[in-house]
Amino acid sequence: MMGLPLTFAQPLLLLGLLSLPVLWWLLRVMPPRPRRIEFPPTRLLFEIAPKEETPSRTPWWLTLIRLAAAALLIIAAAGPIWNPATGLGASNAPAVILLDDGWSSAASWETRIKAADELIAKADNDRRGVALVALSETARDITLLPAGTARVALRQISPKPWSVERVETLPAIERFLKSTGDAEIAWLTDGTDTGRGSEFLEGLSKTIGERSLTIFEGAPAPLALAAAENAAAKMTVKVLRPAGRASVGTVRAVDAKGSPIGEARFVFTGSDRETEASFDLPVELRNDIARLEIAGERSAGAVQLLDKRWRRRAVGVVSGATSDTAQPLLAANFYLARALSPFADVRLGDRGAPQQAIAQFLDQKLPMIVMADVGTLSPEIRERLNTWIEQGGVLVRFAGPRLAQADDDMVPVKLRRGGRTLGGSLTWEKPQHMSAFAGDGPFAGLAVPKDITVSRQVLAEPDAALATKTWALLEDGTPLVTGERRAKGVVALFHVGADMRWSDLPMSGSFVEMLRRIVDMSGYTSTPGAGAAGEGAVEMVAPLRTLDGFGAFGPPPSTAKPMRADYRDRATPEHPPGLYGPAEGPIAVNTLAAADRLAALDTSALRAQRATYTNAEPRDLRGILLASSLALFLIDAVIVALLGAGLAALLRRWRAAPASLALALVFALTTVSPSQVRADAASDDFAMRAVSQTRLAYVVTGNADVDAIVKSGMAGLTLFLAQRTALEAGDPVGVDPARDELAFFPLIYWPVMPGAAKPSQDTLNRIDAYMKQGGTVLFDTRDAVEAPPGENGATQTPGMLTLRNILSSLDVPELEPVPREHVLTKTFYLLRDFPGRYTTGQTWVETLPRSDDDEAASRPAHGGDGVSPIIITSNDLVGAWALRPDGQPMLPVSGGDMRQREFAFRAGVNIVMYTLTGNYKADQVHAPALIERLGQ
Amino acid sequence: MAAPDKNEALEITAIRRADGESRTLAASLPRLVLEARRIAANVIHGLHGRRRAGAGENFWQYRRFVSGEPAARVDWRRSARDDHLYGREQEWEASHTVWIWPDRSPSMAFASREARDSKLERGLIVAFALAELLVAGGERVGIPGLMNPTASRAVIDKMAQAMLHDDATRASLPPSFVPSALAEIVVLSDFWSPMPEIRAMLAGLSSSGAHGTLIQVVDPAEETFPYSGRVEFVEPEGGETITAGRAESWMNDYVARVALHRDEIRAETNRLDWLFSTHTTSRSAAELLLFLHGGMMVSKGGTRSTVKVGRSA
Repeated sequence: MMGLPLTFAQPLLLLGLLSLPVLWWLLRVMPPRPRRIEFPPTRLLFEIAPKEETPSRTPWWLTLIRLAAAALLIIAAAGPIWNPATGLGASNAPAVILLDDGWSSAASWETRIKAADELIAKADNDRRGVALVALSETARDITLLPAGTARVALRQISPKPWSVERVETLPAIERFLKSTGDAEIAWLTDGTDTGRGSEFLEGLSKTIGERSLTIFEGAPAPLALAAAENAAAKMTVKVLRPAGRASVGTVRAVDAKGSPIGEARFVFTGSDRETEASFDLPVELRNDIARLEIAGERSAGAVQLLDKRWRRRAVGVVSGATSDTAQPLLAANFYLARALSPFADVRLGDRGAPQQAIAQFLDQKLPMIVMADVGTLSPEIRERLNTWIEQGGVLVRFAGPRLAQADDDMVPVKLRRGGRTLGGSLTWEKPQHMSAFAGDGPFAGLAVPKDITVSRQVLAEPDAALATKTWALLEDGTPLVTGERRAKGVVALFHVGADMRWSDLPMSGSFVEMLRRIVDMSGYTSTPGAGAAGEGAVEMVAPLRTLDGFGAFGPPPSTAKPMRADYRDRATPEHPPGLYGPAEGPIAVNTLAAADRLAALDTSALRAQRATYTNAEPRDLRGILLASSLALFLIDAVIVALLGAGLAALLRRWRAAPASLALALVFALTTVSPSQVRADAASDDFAMRAVSQTRLAYVVTGNADVDAIVKSGMAGLTLFLAQRTALEAGDPVGVDPARDELAFFPLIYWPVMPGAAKPSQDTLNRIDAYMKQGGTVLFDTRDAVEAPPGENGATQTPGMLTLRNILSSLDVPELEPVPREHVLTKTFYLLRDFPGRYTTGQTWVETLPRSDDDEAASRPAHGGDGVSPIIITSNDLVGAWALRPDGQPMLPVSGGDMRQREFAFRAGVNIVMYTLTGNYKADQVHAPALIERLGQ
Repeated sequence: MAAPDKNEALEITAIRRADGESRTLAASLPRLVLEARRIAANVIHGLHGRRRAGAGENFWQYRRFVSGEPAARVDWRRSARDDHLYGREQEWEASHTVWIWPDRSPSMAFASREARDSKLERGLIVAFALAELLVAGGERVGIPGLMNPTASRAVIDKMAQAMLHDDATRASLPPSFVPSALAEIVVLSDFWSPMPEIRAMLAGLSSSGAHGTLIQVVDPAEETFPYSGRVEFVEPEGGETITAGRAESWMNDYVARVALHRDEIRAETNRLDWLFSTHTTSRSAAELLLFLHGGMMVSKGGTRSTVKVGRSA
């Protein structure tokens, strides 16, 4: 057929389609089966004179379905074939086969070779010459080969591990076409644009002119890795692709010996062209990763080689000032950790003395130690540090008051003791700005920040060597940073502190860059990389092992040339991807540079025939058509059955079926949302009710008797509170901790039912959060009277056992029986104990922090820092509070002492006041002193 | 056998549901005390205070002792207060029988999509509630052919039991029986039977002079005929079918035919001085019960009862 790759084996049978109008008429006439309805007064209907019996028409859409089924049947009989073998036409012109052979073609190499092979075979049959053009070979002239030779040549082509720019081959193609004249061209593309794709397309269409072109497309899109980064917590790598649907995959991490270290999944959602895989591994393991590859993807682009530049150094930071943690913004550690963490793992030596921390870092063999204002060091530590530096350690020191007073040789230059202050009240000089970085120092090339001011510094004794040791200068020529190499190691000194007191350097971006340069000098350096102090000329490194197009290591090809050690770009034919330099510290070159992205090649502008790799074989469509025809007949049968059974009433009411279906769909969608809205409204209601007034809350147990008692008990307590105190709370609220928001309530009363099931972990997490955020839960097991006799009997009641089970998953603080001086006994009434219906139970609260000093011991009331998140009792407080509607108590108290109920209420008042006012009463003991002071 | 089984199951559920609903319904109405429709001096039984002396349990009045009466009738306590002898007279109490016949034939099981209850269920609810009210008022209630009149307080249970254990075929109209002349008959059915059958039934029941009420319980669909398109209608009892090509065009004729049918029944009942009313299941059951309640009260004291007395005497 025109435009479509579709032909028919028996085109004449398509005339059968002419019979459709007849069929349509027949179908219109045939009525559907009537609905059957049981109708008691049918006998009356017999007496109604039969009306004119015009059958109701078959609905048009039903007719349409039937006609479609019949049409499909007829078309299927005509034997349609999709994709009749395409490729080269039937001319005698030589065939030119353009073959994409960059890294992106490696993944689908086999299909491409197979397609090329078929083309060559076809050309062989027609006795045509073949010109095989691998688009990576820009230099070679194209020659016409006999098909047999071309087939051999095809076998010798392998994908190249770098990105091939097709446009560079265009001149050769043009030359060849000019000399050959007529030719038929087939381009086996991988569909990936590596940058100059559109240029090639333009050039190609110009070059080809009127010659016929067939483009083979549809190879699976290649995947590639780029921009691996060893970040603070994980190693990330970008996964790229030119196009495609949502998919997932795995990136594998392998160490230098080829043993696997880890795997990470990546997910492409939608038509993303870029996603990320991250390895969440310990830094030591991450530093071992030498190669990342996409599992199941065979191409050089899907491999990312990592060298020492991707390793994270662990940097030990020691500060001379120890008690910094309370005010982090004043601590040197804070600035250092923030500045180092983007590219190094910071280990803070903030536990113990600086000397201990240094010793510990030396034991851990860290490659770099930063000492911020550390003064005198003990001789042993100094000895060990010296040894460590000679073996390659990098020591960075920051000045400060302690360093200014100390005297040691762990600095690159001799210091004047005492330091100087600029811009202070006793000096004339203004704070200094930075003027330059030394051209041969590690900071060479960094932009000099103009906004940094230095108000204090330590000064170096001027001597002849000072200039060579200076890495950064201030405007008055005094050094800001000095450093020197000692044996394999480096000692560097910032003449200012690492905090904000002496300068605002630690807050600037330059600080981060400077530290990064210094970190680059440390550890893992067999040959000092670019930027190391004193290394002028850049070294050339020879290729060690290179990747082939499929991403496998091999010996470097003869075309590979040595490269500069600071080569950072993507691989080229001269520098194929692989490892360069010495075997113990190679430098990696990858197929794609960090910023590279893949794009799909859009060939739609090109006037050409299209063919696909996967569907290259012709497909008989008869099966599909017959099956769909059968499916339509089945649908028709179902619809007829439904119509007969009463769906018709619904459909007819809406007149048009599509409309009714759409309406049903809309209805189904809208019925979902209102319920959601309703649920939201309900929870909003709950919240509004809870926050509009202070309310006591209780947990609804589900046992109707208990819940009734608890409800009236809480109401009784609320009433009592209103009568005796300033708190006029709203009606108590029953809550379900699994569902309701608890944060609104200062106190939640939780009656523990013996044998109650443990709440779900989710619920427990909510309760935990409630308690952590300052809420108080009052657990009452209500069974002090059931306590077995003997030691610890009170903690063995059934309720207590259940409670223990519930609390076993909660983060409950240490508890103690309410001590005499606890603020809970003094918040409103002065109480000794907390009776409810029973008096024998013990009341437990969070243990108060012990303080042994005399002042505390003499204080009459103790409160912790906050309110105890948990109070446990077994006295059945709520039973004593519960009142009947007529105001009489609901349950008797155990003692018979009339005052017991009064005390139970008082206990409740104290607990509520405690949760509302916290340790206010405990602080009130200071009131006389405060008043006395005010009086003066 | 499947169809009868299905009907039976339907009926059992309907009875179960009606049992509960009828009690709530009955509880919502005041005690229904029927007045004696016809007062015959020789029929003295039951529990109704008739506001005149007779056999009963409650004190009515003292009267002078008539010589010749047994001495045991003398009320010595009263007589001791003056020089005359007195006897006690009790208030006369009487009751009579109400026959309630709910139709349980397969056609009653019909419920269209709009209706909440089937006709069967509605009929049973009203029958049970009415029975409960009547028994509470001291009357005796029976189901013709199924349950003898009873004044038991558990009348709903008794009726339900009797129906559950009834294995006779379910007829559309009450069996012919001869009620006593004082009995009241309530027939709850859809009355879709042919007119001659209905006439024969009415003639049989009223032959003894009993008074009655016919309630036609219909489904909303049977009133409005909400069908359209090609529909085949099946008669649930006889199984006859008729196919309507465009059912919507039959509606007007149908409604007219139903009205005619009702007029015929009404003409027959008016002739016999019976009551006839229709009830749609989309309306509340309480409405029907109130109507029955009111109808039974009115028809007693009003002029019609005197006519009736005259006619049947």
